[in-house]
Amino acid sequence: MRFVKEYLVPRLIQYFAVIFCGITAVFLIPRFTGQDPILGVIAEIQAQGSSLDASAVRSLMESLRELYGLEGTLFEQYVAMWQRVIAFDFGPSFFQFPTPVADLLRIYLPWTIGLFVTTTVLAWALGNVIGGIAGYFSHKRWSKVFDAVVMVVRPVPHYIFGILVLILFAYVWQIFPVGGIMLGRSTVFNLNFILTIIRHSFLPALTLLILGGAIWFQQMKLLVQNVKREDFVQYAHTGGVKETRIIPRYVLRNAMLPQITQLTLALGQVFSGVLIVEMVFSYPGMGLLLYRAVTRNDYNLVMGITVLSILTITTAVLIMDLLYPLFDPRIRHR
Amino acid sequence: MKCKWGIMILMVLVLMFSLSFTAFAQLPGGIPREETMIADQLTGRVGMPDNFNLWAGWRNQDRGLQQLLLEPLWTVDYATGEIISGSAAEPPEYSEDLMQMTIHLREGVDWNDGVPFTADDVAFTIELHVDTPGLLYHGPMAEFVESVTVVDEHTVTVNLTRPSSRFHAHFLDRWGCLRIMPKHIFEDVEDVMAFKYNPPVGTGAYRLLDYDPAGFWTLWERREDWDRSPTGILYGEPQPQYVLFQWFESEEGKILAQLRNELDMAQHTEEGLRVILDRSDTARAWRRDWPWVVNIDPCITGILLNNMVEPYDNKDVRWALTLAIDIVDYAAIATDLMAPVSPLHLPPVPAYLEHFFLPMEDWLKEFEIDIGNGEMFKPYDPDVSQRILAEAEERGYPIPDDPDIILEQFGMGWWKYAPDVAAQLLENNGFSRNAEGNWLLPDGSPWKIDIVSDPPVAHHHMKNALAAAEQWRNFGIDATVYATEAYNDLTMMGDYSVSTTWPAAEPWGAGVDLIRTFDVWHSRNLTPIGETVAIGPGGAARWSDPRMDEIIEAMEVTDPIAEEEKTIELGIEALKLVIEEMPTIATYGYTGPIAYDEAYWTNWPGAENPYSQPYQHWPNLKYMLPFLEKAE
Repeated sequence: MRFVKEYLVPRLIQYFAVIFCGITAVFLIPRFTGQDPILGVIAEIQAQGSSLDASAVRSLMESLRELYGLEGTLFEQYVAMWQRVIAFDFGPSFFQFPTPVADLLRIYLPWTIGLFVTTTVLAWALGNVIGGIAGYFSHKRWSKVFDAVVMVVRPVPHYIFGILVLILFAYVWQIFPVGGIMLGRSTVFNLNFILTIIRHSFLPALTLLILGGAIWFQQMKLLVQNVKREDFVQYAHTGGVKETRIIPRYVLRNAMLPQITQLTLALGQVFSGVLIVEMVFSYPGMGLLLYRAVTRNDYNLVMGITVLSILTITTAVLIMDLLYPLFDPRIRHR
Repeated sequence: MKCKWGIMILMVLVLMFSLSFTAFAQLPGGIPREETMIADQLTGRVGMPDNFNLWAGWRNQDRGLQQLLLEPLWTVDYATGEIISGSAAEPPEYSEDLMQMTIHLREGVDWNDGVPFTADDVAFTIELHVDTPGLLYHGPMAEFVESVTVVDEHTVTVNLTRPSSRFHAHFLDRWGCLRIMPKHIFEDVEDVMAFKYNPPVGTGAYRLLDYDPAGFWTLWERREDWDRSPTGILYGEPQPQYVLFQWFESEEGKILAQLRNELDMAQHTEEGLRVILDRSDTARAWRRDWPWVVNIDPCITGILLNNMVEPYDNKDVRWALTLAIDIVDYAAIATDLMAPVSPLHLPPVPAYLEHFFLPMEDWLKEFEIDIGNGEMFKPYDPDVSQRILAEAEERGYPIPDDPDIILEQFGMGWWKYAPDVAAQLLENNGFSRNAEGNWLLPDGSPWKIDIVSDPPVAHHHMKNALAAAEQWRNFGIDATVYATEAYNDLTMMGDYSVSTTWPAAEPWGAGVDLIRTFDVWHSRNLTPIGETVAIGPGGAARWSDPRMDEIIEAMEVTDPIAEEEKTIELGIEALKLVIEEMPTIATYGYTGPIAYDEAYWTNWPGAENPYSQPYQHWPNLKYMLPFLEKAE
C-alpha cells in the first residue's frame, strides 16, 4: 500500500501531467508562430506560378478553413483537439488533404522503425560491449587507439559523415544507390525485396551505427573506468574472482544501468525520426514528415506525430521508473 | 580467434558483393535504362502518392500529371513565344460583345482508356466546377459561367455572366490551369473532393505505370496509341518509352545521381550546376558556355516594398532606394553576373523583348523624375550591360560580342547608380544623416530596414536580399536580412516593410497580354494590412493607382488575340506607370540552373536551339519529348 501511495501514485500523476502539458504545448506553439496553414497551401500552389485568380484564391481559402476545421475560437479548437486525441483520430493532414494523419503514419513509421530501432539497438549493444571492454582494459594500446579513432569520428555531424559515406560508396565505388527505393506500389515480399531494402538502408544504417555507436562507446568506457575502481571490484580481484566473471557480472552490469535508461529514451525518439540522415540518403521516414509538417504548419500532422512521441516517451519513462528497482537493488522500494 | 575474424571479414565481403550485384537493377520493375528518361521532381516528395486528383488540391502536379498525363486546351511556351493549341484545335473565339467564348476541339484525340475526347468532357468539367465549392477553379467558374452549350462533338460555347476577353486564360496552361476532366470517369463519382483519381486517365501520350508508395518517384509509360494524344498529333512520337520523375532529398544526392548518369534532366543550385559541368563528361546546361543558366525564365526577381507602410508609401523614397543600388555590383553579389537585369517589371523573355523592352527603350532614355527644386533627372542607364560585360571580362569569363546575345544574356539596361540623387530625394522629404553618415528617418530615429526573405541561400529571394542589404548599407542605411520560413505569411499579411518575394506577379511569358502582372494592382484587390492578399506576388506590395485601374479595365475589354496592338499599347502604358511610381523594384530575370545529361538522350533544347522551354517540371515537357534523340 505504501508502494502505491508513495511510489506509484506520484509517478502516475507526473505521467499524466507531462502528457497534458506536452499536448497543450503542441497545440499552442504552432498557432503562436504566426504562420497560417491555409496560406502555406496557397503559397505552394502559387509558388510555381500556377494561375489562380483572386476570386479563385478567396474561394479556396474559405473552403480550406472549413475543411481543415480551423473555424471557431482557439478554445473551441482546443476542446475539439482533446476529443480527437482521446479518440486517437488526428483528422486529415492539412497539407496532404484529405489524407488522414493515421495513413501517413502508417506509411512512414515502418521505415523509421526499421532503420532507427535496428541501428539504435545495434549501436547501443556494440557501443556498450566494445566500450565496456575498452574501458576495462583502458591501459592497453589497442584500447587507446580505438579511443582515438572514436574521438575523431564522434563529433562529425551526421550530414558530413553521410555525404562522405555516400561519395565513397555511391560515387567513387558505385555499389550503393543515391536515390529512393525502387519498389513499386505492388511490392512482393521476396529475395529481391529484401536485398533492395538492405541495399537502400545500408548506408544510412552504417552512418547511424557508427556515429551512434561512438557515443555509446565513449559513455560506456568512462562508466566502466569508474566502476572498475570501486571497492567491490577491487575486492573481487583480491578474492581471486576470475576476470571473465568480473567484467560482465561486476563491472558491465553496474555500468549498464544509466545506459538502459538512455536506450529507452533514445528509442522513444523514433517518432522524430532521423531527419538529416533521411535527407542525405532520400530515405522515407518520420523525420522528414515531421519537418514538413512543422514548416507548413500542418497542425494535425504535427499533433499526430508529437502526441505519439509524447505518449511513447512518457510511457517508456514510467515503465523504466517502475522496473528500475528490478535492475538496481539499491533503489528498491521497501 | 584469427579464424573467426577471417570468417567475419569474408561474410562482410560476400554481403558487399551481393549488394553491388543488385546495384545494377536501378529502375523499378527492371525497365531498360536506355528507353527511360529520368527527370528530377521539383516540388518535393509526393505527400499522397496514390492521389492524382489535382482538381481538388495540391497534388505535386510536376510528378508527370501536367507534363505527361493531361493535355490542356492551350499552353504558353515562353521560349518560343508561342501559345500552343493542344486539346483545342485553335485559339478561342469570342463573340463581339465578349459574352460568349467558343472552343474548337482537336479531332482524333482519345483518353488513354480508349474513350474519345469530346465537347461533353469540356462542358462537364466547367459545369462540375460551377457546382462544386472546394475545387480549385470553382471561384472563377462560378463567377463567370452562365451556361455551357455543346454545339457539336468538337465545339463548345461558354456563355458568360459578364463580358470577358480573358476567360480562356483559366484554361491556358502556365504551370497550372483548369484541365479538362474525363466525364466518363468523374460523372459517377459521389464525392469529387475525396476521389483519388487512381489510376488517372488523361489524353496525354503517357499513362501511369507505377509509383513509390513513399512518394519518391512516379513512372510513366508511353501509350501504344500515342498518336491519339494532342502531343502525338502535333509533334509525332515522344521518344522515351518510359519517363521517371524522381525526388532527391539532398542536392548532393541529385548531383551524384547525375554524375552516375542516373538522372537525365535536373534543376540544381548554381553551385551544383558548376560541380556537374566540372565533373561530368556528358552533362550540359542551357548554354554550353558561361553563364550556362536558363535566362529566359518567365519570372522577374527583385525587391517588394510595402506601400502601406511609412516611408515606403512615398514615391521619392522608393526611387531613392532604387538609385542607391549599383546594379553591376548587385548582380555580381546575387548571381555572379549570370542574370539579365531588367528595368521593367517583366522578365526579359523573347516575346517581351520584342513587344515591350525594345519598343520602350527610347522612352526609357528620355524618362525623367522630379528630384525637387524644379530639377529633373534621367534615371535610365542604357550602358549597364556593357559595364556588366567589362566586370565579367575582369573575372575571366568568356564574353560575347554579338549585341543580340548580349541583350539576351545581360539585359537591356537598368537604373543609374546615383547616390547623390538618392540623397537629394530623401533630404527633400525630411530625411537626414547623423555624424557617422547613417540615414535618419524624418522623425530623427535611425532608418533600419529588415529585408524579409525565404531562407535558402540558393534561392533568388535570398540572393536579392543579400545584394540589396549590401547596397543600402553602403548608402548608409542600416539594412539587414531577416530570413524566415514565415516570409510568405509575413508578406501576404502585410507584416513587413521590405521583402524579396517576387516584385511583380508572373506574366504569361508569351503573347502580349500583361493583365496577369497588373491585375494584382487594381484597387479592388488592394488588401489592408492584417488581411491576406488573395494574389501573393506583387499584390503584397499593397499599391494601387486610379490610372492603373483605368488601364486594367481597358485591358479587360480588349481581346488580346484579336486586338494585339491595342493590348501592347495598354501593356506599355501600365509599365510606364509602374516605372514612374516604382511600387516595387524589379532587378533581374530569374535564372534556372538546369543540367541535361547526354549519356542516354540528346538534342535537349538549349540557347543555341531553343525549340522548347527548358524545364522538366513545366507542362511543356510533353512537347519536348518528341524531339529528344537516343544517344549513340
